[in-house]
Amino acid sequence: MVRLTAASSQSLRPYLQAVRSSLTAALCLSNFASQTAERHNVPEVEARTSPEVLLTPLTIARNENERVLIEPSINSIRISIKIKQADEIEHILVHKFTRFLTQRAESFFILRRKPIKGYDISFLITNFHTEEMLKHKLVDFIIQFMEEVDKEISEMKLFLNARARFVAESFLTPFD
Amino acid sequence: MLLLDYQNVLIQSVLTERFSGAPPAHIDQTVSDFDGVIFHISTPETKTKIQVSIQIRCYKDLLRYGAEQVLNREYGPYVVAPEVGYDFSVLVDLENLPAEKEERDALVNKIALLKRNAMAAPFEQAYQEHYQLREEASKFTSEEAPQGVREGGEVKAIQYREEEAIYVKASHDRVTVIFSTIFREETDRVFGKVFIQEFVDARRRAIQNAPQVLFRNDPPLELQGVPGVKNTGTGEIGYVTFVLFPRHLTPQRMPDVISHIQTFRDYFHYHIKASKAYIHSRMRRRTADFLQVLRRARPDSEEKERKTASGRSFKVGS
Repeated sequence: MVRLTAASSQSLRPYLQAVRSSLTAALCLSNFASQTAERHNVPEVEARTSPEVLLTPLTIARNENERVLIEPSINSIRISIKIKQADEIEHILVHKFTRFLTQRAESFFILRRKPIKGYDISFLITNFHTEEMLKHKLVDFIIQFMEEVDKEISEMKLFLNARARFVAESFLTPFD
Repeated sequence: MLLLDYQNVLIQSVLTERFSGAPPAHIDQTVSDFDGVIFHISTPETKTKIQVSIQIRCYKDLLRYGAEQVLNREYGPYVVAPEVGYDFSVLVDLENLPAEKEERDALVNKIALLKRNAMAAPFEQAYQEHYQLREEASKFTSEEAPQGVREGGEVKAIQYREEEAIYVKASHDRVTVIFSTIFREETDRVFGKVFIQEFVDARRRAIQNAPQVLFRNDPPLELQGVPGVKNTGTGEIGYVTFVLFPRHLTPQRMPDVISHIQTFRDYFHYHIKASKAYIHSRMRRRTADFLQVLRRARPDSEEKERKTASGRSFKVGS
């Protein structure tokens, strides 16, 4: 955690800290068979068939463009992230990147193929995941993802601008 | 390989090899170039006579703007009747090559520039028109110049791709070259905008003497009333305008400026694609990093049975 906080900026730190604490608290899952269909065991947060096993969803917002929605339930939890998109370029880059990731959802285990409405990327963690994987490491993964995705997007944008500038100047120099 | 070559490299290498004194061989090769241009290198009669033919989509347009004169000037003695299915052919006899190596190389280069020379015709015409108009305009002050002189020549349209065209217009103080270019998808459009913005700004920032570059999504005023110009209003088509100033219009600089400006469209799209490819590979790398982090969440799978030196096995206490 020291490593993570050292890298993040001052305003980002409390935001990530809030997400981390809330996630740790929400990731308290147990095996729970479906009450509506016999011999089924489905993530309740997705099925939404028994309201009594759903917990209150929680939104943590850094500003209007960056927020995290945590929807806990008895045997599963859904985390949706809205990634910062300041302009058209960032919008395209975020779109491309999240699509790239979701196409590889199989190898990410906890990644949802489709983000829920209003968010860019969603994760679904079930009790089977927490049984197989270490809970605090899963939280680490989500936090690190949030941190790096912003960095990656702004780096790609900078790269694109730098390249465009270089390309334009190289083309126009022979006219000089 | 930042800037694109003006000549066709494949033709250049084939001809260089043939001209180097290697034993004559049968050739039948189709070579494609940018903008759907197709070349055909062949030895139709004997192995010593190499014919190079070119097919250009907009050859009719080019003929209208004097391509024939330009090509005849460049390839004079080598021009033959065009091959069936092609627009223009040159024939080189290996037994009649220039003696000097430099001259042979110059000939190779000239033939490799076939596409460039064919496309140069409208630009050269615009240059000539500009000289004329300047001559006429110098007789008047700017207010009393007759309408024709002030407005400049007609717009020359070269429909060099299915949906994209180059428009060239000469006036007494500048030559305007407009590229219409189409962006197939949203990403290209956004990337294109970033690139074009840098072209527009480059003049202000670094290269003061570069041609002025303008960009807009609707047809510029110069193209009003030109057939084939549609305003789709979807932002899919972009119009990039280059304004060449008198300092670019001197006869000495003409060949270089014409060669260079022709490559704009391909250069522009090539770099958009290259950026996309780079960003893609970057995302791939980053995704691998994320997977690595996630893999750490999985506790190490059960340790393999360990053996002591004597060969007995034991279990690690759980």
